Amino acid sequence: MDREKRIGAETKKGYLIVESGPDRPFRILYADRAACDMTGMSMDELLAVRTPGAVPEYLESIPVTLDASHRLWILNTTDSRLESEAELIRMNQKLEEALNAAEAANQAKSAFLSNMSHDIRTPMNAIAGMTSIALSHIDEKARVQDCLHKIQTASAHLMSLVNDVLDISRIDSGRLSLNEELFSLADLIHDVTVIVRPQAAQKGHSMKMEIGQIYEESLIGDSLRLRQIFVNIINNAIKYTPEGGNIQVRFSQYQARDKAQDAKDCLWLDFVCQDDGIGMSREFLERIFMPFERASNFTMSKIEGTGLGMSIVKSLTDRMGGRIEIESKEGAGSRFHIEFPLTVMPGNRKPWNALAGKTVLIAESADPLAEKMEICLQEENIRTGRVRNALDAVAWLTQAKSEGRMPCALLLGQELDDMPVFELAAHVRQSAGPDFPVILISEADWAQMEYRAARAGISAFVPCPLFKSRLLDTLSNLLEGKPEDGEADITASMDYSGCHVLLVEDNELNQEIALEMLAGSGVHAEVADNGADALEKFKLSPEGYYDLIFMDVQMPVMNGYESTMHIRTLPRPDAQEVWIVAMTANAFVEDIRTAREAGMNEHLAKPVNLEQLREILHRQLGKAKKE
Amino acid sequence: MEPYQEEYIANLKEISGLAAESRQELQSFDAFLEKKLACKKRHEQAVERNMTLLRENLFPLLDRLFEADGAELANLTEFAGVLFDGRNELDIGLFCQIHRALLSRARVQKDQNAMICELYWLGIGYNSLCSKLLGLDYAAGERYTSQMRLCFMEAAAYLKYFDEISDSGTKGYILRSRANVSLGQFKSPSEKIRLVKYTLQILQDKWYQEKAPELPWSRFIYMTHLQMAASISRSREKAMTPEDIAAVMESVYVVYDQQWAQAKENGQHPPVRATFSYDSINYYCGLNTLDELLHKMELLMDRAEENDYSPDGVYAMISLPAFYCNFLQENPEKLPERTEYLESLYRRASAYVAGFPRASENETLFFALRQLMLVFVETKNSMSYGTLLERLLIRFMPETYVHSCTVGKAAAAFCRVLLGEEPGFFDDMDFIREITDFREKENAVTDYARKCGLYHDTGKIGLTNLYALTARQWFEDEYTMARLHTQLGGERLANQLSTKRYAPVALGHHVWYDGSSGYPETYVRLESPYRQMVDIIGLMDWLDNVTYTSYLYTGMQKTFEEAVQEAALLGGKRFSPLLTERLMDKALSEKLEGVFKDSRRQACRQLYEAAKNPTLQ
Repeated sequence: MDREKRIGAETKKGYLIVESGPDRPFRILYADRAACDMTGMSMDELLAVRTPGAVPEYLESIPVTLDASHRLWILNTTDSRLESEAELIRMNQKLEEALNAAEAANQAKSAFLSNMSHDIRTPMNAIAGMTSIALSHIDEKARVQDCLHKIQTASAHLMSLVNDVLDISRIDSGRLSLNEELFSLADLIHDVTVIVRPQAAQKGHSMKMEIGQIYEESLIGDSLRLRQIFVNIINNAIKYTPEGGNIQVRFSQYQARDKAQDAKDCLWLDFVCQDDGIGMSREFLERIFMPFERASNFTMSKIEGTGLGMSIVKSLTDRMGGRIEIESKEGAGSRFHIEFPLTVMPGNRKPWNALAGKTVLIAESADPLAEKMEICLQEENIRTGRVRNALDAVAWLTQAKSEGRMPCALLLGQELDDMPVFELAAHVRQSAGPDFPVILISEADWAQMEYRAARAGISAFVPCPLFKSRLLDTLSNLLEGKPEDGEADITASMDYSGCHVLLVEDNELNQEIALEMLAGSGVHAEVADNGADALEKFKLSPEGYYDLIFMDVQMPVMNGYESTMHIRTLPRPDAQEVWIVAMTANAFVEDIRTAREAGMNEHLAKPVNLEQLREILHRQLGKAKKE
Repeated sequence: MEPYQEEYIANLKEISGLAAESRQELQSFDAFLEKKLACKKRHEQAVERNMTLLRENLFPLLDRLFEADGAELANLTEFAGVLFDGRNELDIGLFCQIHRALLSRARVQKDQNAMICELYWLGIGYNSLCSKLLGLDYAAGERYTSQMRLCFMEAAAYLKYFDEISDSGTKGYILRSRANVSLGQFKSPSEKIRLVKYTLQILQDKWYQEKAPELPWSRFIYMTHLQMAASISRSREKAMTPEDIAAVMESVYVVYDQQWAQAKENGQHPPVRATFSYDSINYYCGLNTLDELLHKMELLMDRAEENDYSPDGVYAMISLPAFYCNFLQENPEKLPERTEYLESLYRRASAYVAGFPRASENETLFFALRQLMLVFVETKNSMSYGTLLERLLIRFMPETYVHSCTVGKAAAAFCRVLLGEEPGFFDDMDFIREITDFREKENAVTDYARKCGLYHDTGKIGLTNLYALTARQWFEDEYTMARLHTQLGGERLANQLSTKRYAPVALGHHVWYDGSSGYPETYVRLESPYRQMVDIIGLMDWLDNVTYTSYLYTGMQKTFEEAVQEAALLGGKRFSPLLTERLMDKALSEKLEGVFKDSRRQACRQLYEAAKNPTLQ
């Protein structure tokens, strides 16, 4: 008989008829079967009992008086021993279930450890191997450098593995809390773009980042975790799409359709990432969010990963109150669609009314980007002109200048039909003058091209995917002469008010022209007529007063070389540090060398090239301001 | 012109003459060598003098250019015009420097006519620079092409105000700028043809003609047709659209008719250039097959006279074979049946150059030979590509030849020492590792080193004015352009099977050992199995440059001992420490110094032999 049944049987009530009184001794006249079972005695044994204490104590009995000498004892079924036993059985059942679960978890963790040990061993091997190679070639700087780069890459990968594991552990233990902070959607998407684009480029993918309808850019939420989700999904698309694939990412917003969610301060952020990669099987799709799960074909294809990414994405999305949908077919790619409800930080937007009615020239060969620019501008009643190549841009601007209808700015896109955009920028900077805003709009990483852009005379940079607010704020700030915050804006660093520049030049007209060129930058420029004058001015200035010196070479009284040498030998710390630029028509490579030997830091050919002047100001004074 | 300008020009002409003088055949090698050294010394003196002239006169003027008076500006413009008149080039770098300064002045003073004029001339200057980069990957030379085109386009934009401009010279500059926008290389022939077509429409528009009847419209139109006729793409892959072909065809017929009529009047055949354009457009529009075109080209080349040293003769003897090679390169299936003919073409071209009077001084011949070099097709019995390069160096860049031979021999001597100490030193290179016998390996390595030295600077062919005829130190722009010789050489050598092995050396010999500096970025030391040889040639090249060769361009000169000390300081940074460590061995460095000297002398002897017997090369 199984345990469950026995307990069921033993819970029936037992009945005994007992006779006892002053004149009659105690005896049991009748016992039913249940009573026998409950007392553990046979009928005969019970009938032979002559004292009430012979009935076990654990049996509660309820006496019912039948007459003066006879009572009915009803034996109670709530036997504590049997209760304990039943409880024990139930606990055992739970333990058994827990054991099964633990065994299952253990199996998954073993599988994970097996995968992880491969994934960890790969970068660890690289680190160990490269360290050995570096040690055995310690005198070969190039070889060591190469090894260190590889170690750096492997360490970064290892770190991401560990981070994933820690994240899933935090989520599992409920220790993960989400931040509710104000963030800019434009910044968030730009960050995501900067992270994923190089990886996509490395695999030769065509990656399109599109921005749909955006109602509000200032939102409240956990931008770090949102970035983690987006990067994770896009990285998967990059990883699991064979080289030269197509990946489309789209961000947009919509207002809550559900009445219950229809709070005025809530918007849904919609994210779609679609690729034409290897896709996933239906079976795997069912398990995709389980921790440590990776499709077998992924492990076969030696693509690195922990199998935790999607589980983290799902957990984070759930925690944010979002929804995630995946469509995928093996060999045909995947489509991830995630929506998040986010709180809106209502309107702290600056008005752009001042821009209405102005004209902007757009130079870009690719229609989607140019059209996006046109829409952003036209929505604010800004007129646009559009050219696809540099030659048309130059003709357009030259004629506009002649007719006194110069646009308020030139927006340079990423590509032109006929030449690199920087070539056009450099030419326009020369022909249109120092104050004409030339804004670069590009997907590329600004840090990678800042130097070249500054040399070409680009005034400001707006990253892609293009946000209207960024474009119009930049334009507005440039036109108002009011610098914008943010590292990506050269104009911000072109405001050098508070910086002191000494212009050493004997020719009055040259002084005038150079001062005019410097005027737009906000620097406080002082003039010395010759090298001796410059030396005197430097001596009398407080320490660290001059940030930059432009030094002519051929001058009466004392030439630029001598003056520089004297300045460099002055017993004050800034004498060694002040940046001195030779400004001379002597342009042979030997002259450049002589200038350096005299203690000058660089050379600017005369007549002064505005493009180079601007680049020097940006490089040197930008640094001075930051310091 | 001012006296300093006249003196500068005279020095330029003298320097050009010195190059020819130093090649003159003399009775003995010693006399030849003496003459050569004297010419070198005189060249250095002229360069010194030119620098002084510019420093004392031109640079101060540029320094205060904004207040220069009319006479000074006129002198400056005249001076620039002699430096380069659009055809003859004496100093293109200085020409551009002057016109850049004048353009800045015109912009600041908002002088529209001056701006248009300066934009035109600066564009012309940039065009000349672009032509030196012929054969280089489009992207590498794009900067120069873009600068040229932007200058011309800005000037051409004033076409809109044609009737408001009273100065007819300015009107001429505008029209010529409009036409010149289509100069240089384009990504696609269609782009170029579209621009030329638009220019033709403007030039043929009566409205414009009536506004400036004094301008030579017919000449402008004819020149633009010539430009259109030259727009034919030689490559099937860059095939033109039917509209392009129609436009080019029209121009080709116009040019051919005019030249045919002129030739008939003089009782001559139509010029080869026009005939070839005519034949090739017939091929492109489907009237003839490629075989028919090649046959017609063969007839033209066979008809060429071997003693016709006129530009048309050079075209028939050298340029046309270059186009012929180009077609064979694009259509290799046509080569087997034409191999023998091609070999005979090379022999004829070689004999033609040998008999060419003052060949080394003829720019037309040089450009045609460079064109042939770019499309050279090697066959079993033809001269090798390496031999062609060597001959070009001997004839047109003798100083670079001496330098290259010297570097090669010094490298070979150094390799011998390295191999003695470490036989597996060069085993990263498959073809060396495969050799097991030490002597055989040593011979292979030293032969490779010599040839690497010989070919490492062949990218300089094309930048002759910078290297062979320099009349002063370089400006920074020129220095930047000179750096392209590594890419030019690397790409050309890599294109031929027989010289492919030497390409990494040409490409990478100016890249620093630790990758922190140098050029070009496309050479990555650790990825190249040839890196040990690239390191050696880089070091030997530097030693020869700073002790002997590059003083003219950079003004830097050291003794051999100083150079060795500096190289040691740069060990692990610019140069391989494995090499600089060995260089510190005094016996070895003295030996090397001797090798440099002897090799220079031997290379000069080869130049002497070549001058004595030009038919040998």
